[in-house]
Amino acid sequence: MTTAQVRKLKNGIALTVCTIAAFLGLFWLIFILWDVLVHGIGGLHLSLFMNDPAPPGIEGGGLRNAFVGHLIITFFATLIGVPIGILGGTFLAEYARGRKIARVISVLSDIMVSVPSIVIGTFIYAVIVKPVGHFSGWAGAVALAIIMIPVVLRTTEDMLSLVPWTLREAAFALGAPYYKVIIHVVYRAAAAGILTGILLSIARVVGETAPLLFTSFNNSFFSANMNEPVSSLTVTIFQYAMGPYSNWHSQAWAASLMITLFILVLAVLGRLLLAWRYGKRPTI
Amino acid sequence: MTIRLKKNPVDIIFSSITAIASVSVLLLILGILYVLILESYPSIEKFGFLRFITSTDWNPVKGSFGAATNLFGTAITTVLSILIAVPVAIGIAIFVTEIAPNFLKGPIGAAIELLAAIPSIIYGMWGLFTLAPIMANYIEPALQKSIGSLPLVGVLFEGTPMGIDLLTASVILSIMIIPFTASISRDAFNLTPAVIKESAYALGATKREVVKDIVIPYSKVGVFGGVVLSLGRALGETMAVAFVLGNNHQITKSLFDAAATITVTLANEFTEADTDIYLSSLFYLALLLFVMSFIILALAKFFILKTEKGIKQ
Repeated sequence: MTTAQVRKLKNGIALTVCTIAAFLGLFWLIFILWDVLVHGIGGLHLSLFMNDPAPPGIEGGGLRNAFVGHLIITFFATLIGVPIGILGGTFLAEYARGRKIARVISVLSDIMVSVPSIVIGTFIYAVIVKPVGHFSGWAGAVALAIIMIPVVLRTTEDMLSLVPWTLREAAFALGAPYYKVIIHVVYRAAAAGILTGILLSIARVVGETAPLLFTSFNNSFFSANMNEPVSSLTVTIFQYAMGPYSNWHSQAWAASLMITLFILVLAVLGRLLLAWRYGKRPTI
Repeated sequence: MTIRLKKNPVDIIFSSITAIASVSVLLLILGILYVLILESYPSIEKFGFLRFITSTDWNPVKGSFGAATNLFGTAITTVLSILIAVPVAIGIAIFVTEIAPNFLKGPIGAAIELLAAIPSIIYGMWGLFTLAPIMANYIEPALQKSIGSLPLVGVLFEGTPMGIDLLTASVILSIMIIPFTASISRDAFNLTPAVIKESAYALGATKREVVKDIVIPYSKVGVFGGVVLSLGRALGETMAVAFVLGNNHQITKSLFDAAATITVTLANEFTEADTDIYLSSLFYLALLLFVMSFIILALAKFFILKTEKGIKQ
């Protein structure tokens, strides 16, 4: 073989290997999603959403408590985490723009995004659960909020930085104080981006299990009282999947399907929003 | 662009509120560190640092604890998952940046990033009910028959393949971290100046040569940052491994044995800790995990920023 042929051959092999790698990635995605769909769809009955759990081993029963509990915990986590994240991001992109403190907090938030979530669970156990003396929905919501804050903060910072500076100058020239400029001009211009950040942060925490294990714990009964242990879908999935009963397994699969669908819809929506408004993609 | 405006009183209040909100991130990090040290203090006092991380004793009944088995499990699963994931992830990044036709670049990249959106508990479920049986029935016996009979490495593949073991956990972890490595590698590859690539093509270089001699040398620090970030992620992953690792506090020789990582131990034992020293030792584990992952993630961030800066100059 001539050198040119050898080079061509090597090129062909390398490109094929890379293409196989890409399809391997896609293969896992499709394999997992398909598996969750096939297993989950069998457990989807109306009773899953309408009934509370039956005693172990008895057929019937559902996960109404877990669905409602999960919704409440996520709702309060969003209520705590999103405002702090947006305000924090505002400081970095506006008042502290270009200053060292903004760089430092920005980098620290990026690190916080990837800190193991189970560590946050142990932290909340020490500062909320132990002093109060029992597990509670509030503890779970705060743990999830802590995970949300850096995600929302970083996207808000990025999105506000994309708003052209001249827009602010135009508002300053009309005599508006900075807070009015931020609220009426900058937030409006960046609304789609901030919304994306919120969507992605919800997608991030809705599937979290580890931080809920020792904060909101679990509850086999229906409870919407945030001062008591509140059942969540993810902790229930963990408990049911590790349990010995086959109807537990099928309910765990159905719950997994619902969570996966919810998260994928949010993630895809967030991505489309970003692509449509800014022509970019989120950093994971 | 410093802003010097006549301060309006509302503005001062609003800016202070935003400042407090952003400093909360810093306070949280310091708070987590402080609380974890405080809570693990009894255990730190009793077992010290070196003794704790080298002792394989994990005995709640006798109240004697050491982190070596957990550190061992964490290290093996993390390193193994990186070894499996990185080549695939770099292949994906090369495919998405250099090989795929333009209309496929976006969709394939996005689809692989969706892997990162799937929550870890789903990976755990899938691992326990689907992957573990496949590993136990097909892949592990095949590995045993082929590589298992070789000297030296054979010992890694001894024992009855059950599917609930280090290897399965590492495979699941590797699937989870592929999107992180791939996404950051892709960003790093994309930073390579097009002019230099085009010059190489003009000299008659093949795609493989352009990637090997131009794109990768240009972006290697960034790719390395992506690998380190994935390492940090794999280190702290809990639910995906909790299902398939079995929480076995032993240092094992074979990859077909159950083990325990720091995260799995925390997830399984935290609510069951009945003595103060037990709970304190678990907090000690959490502290070790927090410090390790924080350092690794900070390093990753450093490398990623370095590439971005280097290219911009």
